[in-house]
Amino acid sequence: MRFLMNTGRTIKQGITVECKGSPGYGSETSRCFMHPLDMMEMGVCDGECVRVESTEGAIVLAAAAAESVTPGTIFVPYGPYANHIIPGATRSTGMPDFKSTPVTVEATTDRRKTVYELMEEMGGVAYHC
Amino acid sequence: MVTVEDGRIVAADNACTLGEQKFLGEPRLKGPIQREGKGWKDITYDEAILRTVEMLRDAERPLLFGWSGTHVEAQCIGVHMAEVLRGVIDNTSSVCHGPSILAIQEVGHPGCTLGQVKNRADLVVYWGCNPIEAHPRHLSRYTRYAEGFFLPNDYLDRTVIVADIRKTETGNIADEFVQVTPGGDYAVLSALRAIVRGKRDIIPRSVAGVPREQLFRIADRCLNAKFIAFYFGLGLTMSRGKYKNVRNAIELVSELNRHTKATISAMRGHYNVYGSNEVNTWMTGYPFGIDFARGIAFYNPGETTAIDVLARRECDACLVVASDPAAHFPRACVEHLADIPTVVIDPYPNATTAFADIQIPVAVTGIDAAGTAYRMDGVPIRMRRVLKTDYPSDEEILGRMYAMLQEDHPP
Amino acid sequence: MNEILIKNACVIDPISGINGEIMDIAVSDGRIVEEVGSGAEVIDAEGFLTLPGGIDSHTHICGTKVNFGRYMSPEDMRAGRTPRRGRMHSTSGYSVPTTYGNSYRYSGMGYTALLEGAMAPLEARHTHEEFAYTPLQDTMANVLFDGNWAIMEAVREKDTKRAAAIVGWTLAAVKGFGVKLTNPGGTEAWGWGKNVSSITDVVPYFEVTPGEIIDTMIRATEMLALPHSVHIHCNNLGLPGNYRTTLDTFDLVPDLNRKRQTLYATHVQFHAYGGTSWSDFCSKAEEITRSVNEKPQIVIDMGQVMFGKTTTMTADGPMEFNLYRLHHNKWSNHDVELETGSGIIPVLYRRKNLVNSIMWAIGLELALLTKNPWQCLLTTDNPNGAPFVRYPEIIGLLMSRKYREAEFATIHPDTEHRVSLPSIERELDWQEIAVMTRAGQARALGIVDIGKGRLAPGAEADIAIYPLKIGEVDPGREYERVIEGFRQTEYTIKRGRIVSRRGECLVWGNNTTIWVKPKISERYDMAQDPAFVEKFDRYYTVRMRNYPVQEEYLKRNLCIETETEL
Repeated sequence: MRFLMNTGRTIKQGITVECKGSPGYGSETSRCFMHPLDMMEMGVCDGECVRVESTEGAIVLAAAAAESVTPGTIFVPYGPYANHIIPGATRSTGMPDFKSTPVTVEATTDRRKTVYELMEEMGGVAYHC
Repeated sequence: MVTVEDGRIVAADNACTLGEQKFLGEPRLKGPIQREGKGWKDITYDEAILRTVEMLRDAERPLLFGWSGTHVEAQCIGVHMAEVLRGVIDNTSSVCHGPSILAIQEVGHPGCTLGQVKNRADLVVYWGCNPIEAHPRHLSRYTRYAEGFFLPNDYLDRTVIVADIRKTETGNIADEFVQVTPGGDYAVLSALRAIVRGKRDIIPRSVAGVPREQLFRIADRCLNAKFIAFYFGLGLTMSRGKYKNVRNAIELVSELNRHTKATISAMRGHYNVYGSNEVNTWMTGYPFGIDFARGIAFYNPGETTAIDVLARRECDACLVVASDPAAHFPRACVEHLADIPTVVIDPYPNATTAFADIQIPVAVTGIDAAGTAYRMDGVPIRMRRVLKTDYPSDEEILGRMYAMLQEDHPP
Repeated sequence: MNEILIKNACVIDPISGINGEIMDIAVSDGRIVEEVGSGAEVIDAEGFLTLPGGIDSHTHICGTKVNFGRYMSPEDMRAGRTPRRGRMHSTSGYSVPTTYGNSYRYSGMGYTALLEGAMAPLEARHTHEEFAYTPLQDTMANVLFDGNWAIMEAVREKDTKRAAAIVGWTLAAVKGFGVKLTNPGGTEAWGWGKNVSSITDVVPYFEVTPGEIIDTMIRATEMLALPHSVHIHCNNLGLPGNYRTTLDTFDLVPDLNRKRQTLYATHVQFHAYGGTSWSDFCSKAEEITRSVNEKPQIVIDMGQVMFGKTTTMTADGPMEFNLYRLHHNKWSNHDVELETGSGIIPVLYRRKNLVNSIMWAIGLELALLTKNPWQCLLTTDNPNGAPFVRYPEIIGLLMSRKYREAEFATIHPDTEHRVSLPSIERELDWQEIAVMTRAGQARALGIVDIGKGRLAPGAEADIAIYPLKIGEVDPGREYERVIEGFRQTEYTIKRGRIVSRRGECLVWGNNTTIWVKPKISERYDMAQDPAFVEKFDRYYTVRMRNYPVQEEYLKRNLCIETETEL
């Protein structure tokens, strides 16, 4: 199904943003908030994984039901998961389309990656204190 | 009010949820680290500084990014470094309120300090922002729950309108919630401008999901208010239209000033992002996205901003100060960071650490370093030091680097 | 020890009574001395005009409002760019240059001290931070009190001593220099989108009038023995017919100080308008200068307008909004809680515009009709009337009737019916220009005693040497040579060091912020006044203990302590 992806701050993201290695940050920023009716239509239950794909690539997130999300849109907290599929183009403003990326969403049995798996995929090396 | 035990903060009273976390934080890096193959090794500060300077010297087009999480004194040195290196310097506003700045450069900015709002605003509008989650103290200090000189009965004396594409926590405490279709902010703001200009008859039955009756009611609430405080967030700057949305909001507020008193302000994020804009402006003339490649300060957002410089794979070294682009930038940018030499100056390991060749830990402003920060309304604050540690401040580390770079270019 | 001997200087030093003598000036350790040793660096001034360093007694160069002018104007930044070169950092901007741009360009013109005309106390730290990056001049900041709640309450209680105590505490807290009133009462009314329209109009809620604020602040300032007088931007700036408000304000002023004026009225060009609307707009410079000529207790500055692009910025928020409604360009506003306001808009002054042409003429009329040059100082209210880099042209206009006539021929033809400029024959001489650009400023600001504005032994070695041989130039005819001469010094010497040579700045700088601390007894210490402290902490958004500007923000500085009546 086609959706418009919105990203934004949540208080949990704000609290965990200082500890990006923590499981809390990873699980908060890999959530995909959707309207329950959209989830019903796709046959996805709360907490199950979905594959979200844009022109830039795809990422696996955990679906989370939220009445406050407008049907036809998904909301993903700011973080490395959403950024994995947001294009780097800025339409000459310096600002990527953080709140209006067209995506397709489908149910999947793949698992979510951890933050550092994502980082290593892009060429990063994790540092463990 | 912070409690310190064994040189570590164990409690922070009277701070907001986000602030408390800043004080308690996660374990900080003990000293500089350098990447070695698939692992890391400890190095000294002297080594870290020298290698960073070598990296910057060798680069043809270095990017100096971040700055919003550090004090003004360090930001000033950063600008001098970019100038002597003929590099690009940008701060995190290019990915938060950069578009708001573009709008201000087109139409100006009727604003005020937060105390004006606290003491006078009987109508507060939050548009595309969610202060309960992003600025937890804003409502209690300055708006909904704040006692003001001319508004002694805080809650009763003030009206709050929230406009957003989803009903956020802030939407729940509003007197009026305006649900806007995603991408429809520009149209709704235009409709309100038309109504304020007396053109009610041209408004269709609904605009971007907002019924005409509600638009009339909001406009009337504005026109009948004594002092309107309009706050907007990334809901306007990051969605379709970007700076044009903000421009429309500013022009609505300018228009309202012909009828009553109205002010508008951006809900800025990082504690000192505005300080970085201020420093850049008095030293280079531009708030962000400054390119010194030509020797003069050159500004062209969309070309000289961090996302673009990285996504075009243009820079050949990157110094990241007090921010975490790997967590906040699109993948294309992060992949380029992984390919080029990168140094991070930050107290904590973060997502960008994984892409760094070197990370240099520093003292945290307001905890173990003192310095200046600018509030979102432009009021400069002295951040005190509450703890003495051995960590050097950003100012010290950058000052040493700049001194070495200056030796390359004697006057 | 750093010593310089300037030989063959043609010195004009009005305070010391030297008018065009060829002489040597000895400099040692930052001061002017009787003689120096044989090891001193020798500068041959070749008979060039040598003046005390220029002083701008009203300019906008640093702080929240100025920086917002830059922030919102990338087009202005692009209009003046220089790269890093030698000791000079890169600069940007034409009408609101970066701090380095201001400092280098002023220095190239021989200016060594600047007074920022309007600093909101709540945002004082910002001004001081920018001062640190304005390295080649001494700096001072006037502190805005026009809409200060505690002051207005003291005025309402008719308690001048309390008003003085508040001024004293605030100046010391924010490291300010003097008292600035910008549209007194009007900036508070603007908190509700309103304004005041005369000096007897009542400020909403506070129930005081601008006239009462002005009167109380004049008396409070003298009670504190501040070096500078009250510095006022009168009510009704820029409105047709506002000259009456200006005259009413001047009529309020007693003569209370032997050493200097009792009121400094700034950018009076903007306050000398006749007519009832823009259609019958005309000059009232004759009426204004008649009042000034009768009142030695008043000093004004011109606020000259020059044609071209600039940026207007003032604490007078309601005035900027009115201007915005005329120009329909971009508009910024910034109200400051419990204190004041501000506004910014870009403007273009056009020769073909009648109102702009009249404004241009009024500024010149003020300078030419004020008999005593010590009472009318040369300013543009930088950048409001024009950027300060236009000062040399203004000097040319004041010294040459021929130049005025040549310019007059290019402006709106109806101007001649609205102004008296064409009939004024007066041409100012070199001595009068020296008064209007440095000596007069030093006396008006009350900084002669700390060595400013003069070249006698003991004075600070702030010296400007211009490539002008006054015996060989006829300013009336050769005004272009005058303009060129004042545009760039041969040498600018600041604190005994050569800081600028033909426009090239040679040292980093690090100069002095001058601030004032009145000595006040414990009884009048506002920090110990429970009612003041309680209200402060309740209605400001910063705690009172966090409000004072810490010593860290003052690099090199000079504190003038005054003996007060409190």
